[in-house]
Amino acid sequence: MDTQWPIFEVFHQASRGEPHVHVGAVHAPDGETAIMLAKEQYGRRQACVNMWVVPSGAIVATAYEDADLFEHGTDKSYREAFGYETTKRAKAVGDAGEI
Amino acid sequence: MTTMTAPSKLDAATKPAVIDLLYRLADDGLIIGHRNSEWTGIGPILEEDIAFSSMAQDKMGHALAFYRMLHELGEPDPERITFERGPEAFRCCSLVAMEFLSGSSGQGDLCNNPVRDELLYRGDWCGSLVRQFLFAEADAVRMAALENSAYEPLAHLARKLRGEIKYHTLHGRLLMEKLGEATPESGERLQSTLTLLWPHALGIFEPTRFESALAEAKICPPESELCDQWRSEVTPIIAKSGLKIPARAMPHYGGRAGKHGPELAALLEAMQRVYMLSPGATW
Repeated sequence: MDTQWPIFEVFHQASRGEPHVHVGAVHAPDGETAIMLAKEQYGRRQACVNMWVVPSGAIVATAYEDADLFEHGTDKSYREAFGYETTKRAKAVGDAGEI
Repeated sequence: MTTMTAPSKLDAATKPAVIDLLYRLADDGLIIGHRNSEWTGIGPILEEDIAFSSMAQDKMGHALAFYRMLHELGEPDPERITFERGPEAFRCCSLVAMEFLSGSSGQGDLCNNPVRDELLYRGDWCGSLVRQFLFAEADAVRMAALENSAYEPLAHLARKLRGEIKYHTLHGRLLMEKLGEATPESGERLQSTLTLLWPHALGIFEPTRFESALAEAKICPPESELCDQWRSEVTPIIAKSGLKIPARAMPHYGGRAGKHGPELAALLEAMQRVYMLSPGATW
């Protein structure tokens, strides 16, 4: 018999506008308690303005054996944005305050 | 309202009153911080162990901030205040000194300690939890009032500590409500602990001889007012947890006047032991 509480994955956000980052997991009976515990497990050192907890069971994931799903069989570098020199050009015009 | 922006602005009436208030705040923080830290490594679940240890660090940090303010008012430096005073000089309430982990003061190295589990079962974590809940709510009420203190350094500090104290009340409320209604055993244990601790919780608000000086100068509201606010905060939470407040409890006073039980002396003996090997040494 499993006597452990369910697991919640913890994500935190360093500052508003940044993506939430996965930082670990906690055992807890429910989401509210998971937040309360995760605040100390994962929010006590680095800066954090917002925290999510998600039941592990809610996460649907790919398998590592299927990592090849993400590989490019042919050259698709046209999808990358390195050709855009927006930042450099904007800086030259003095317009790059918030790029 | 005259705002006193610095220690030099306090007069013969307000200065001793502020010093007494700061000692009460600092000593409460130091002692409850120490008590909560006794669970480090032996808490009932890992995450609670960490939460308790973290809250202990918060309160010790608050205590240090208050001891530093005392030093600016002419009291000795924080190290000497902490490690060289005997129990009769402490002005903490009886609630924070209560012992829920018997034999903890005399315990040696707890790491890899084969009696760790025994200590956990002998100790009463429920006592520490209910104490933490009752104290944190009082702390929140008092700090909120002090944010408007006429003594500016204290108002400034109270505003800084708001976030940490917010977590302490979140933690206490959540666990009281969940454990209160979880099983018959958890409800009974919480109720008997609440009944035992309630007179000591009322003792947080023991009036001192500086009541009128603090209230008139608008440095801190009267204790009875803070107690009423605290009661209105905790009453609905206690009800929601399925618990009852004891009907005719008499407040347990004495702590604010330096009158403590033997548990505080035992705590201080353990806390001051290393320092007293060589007082004033640089470690």
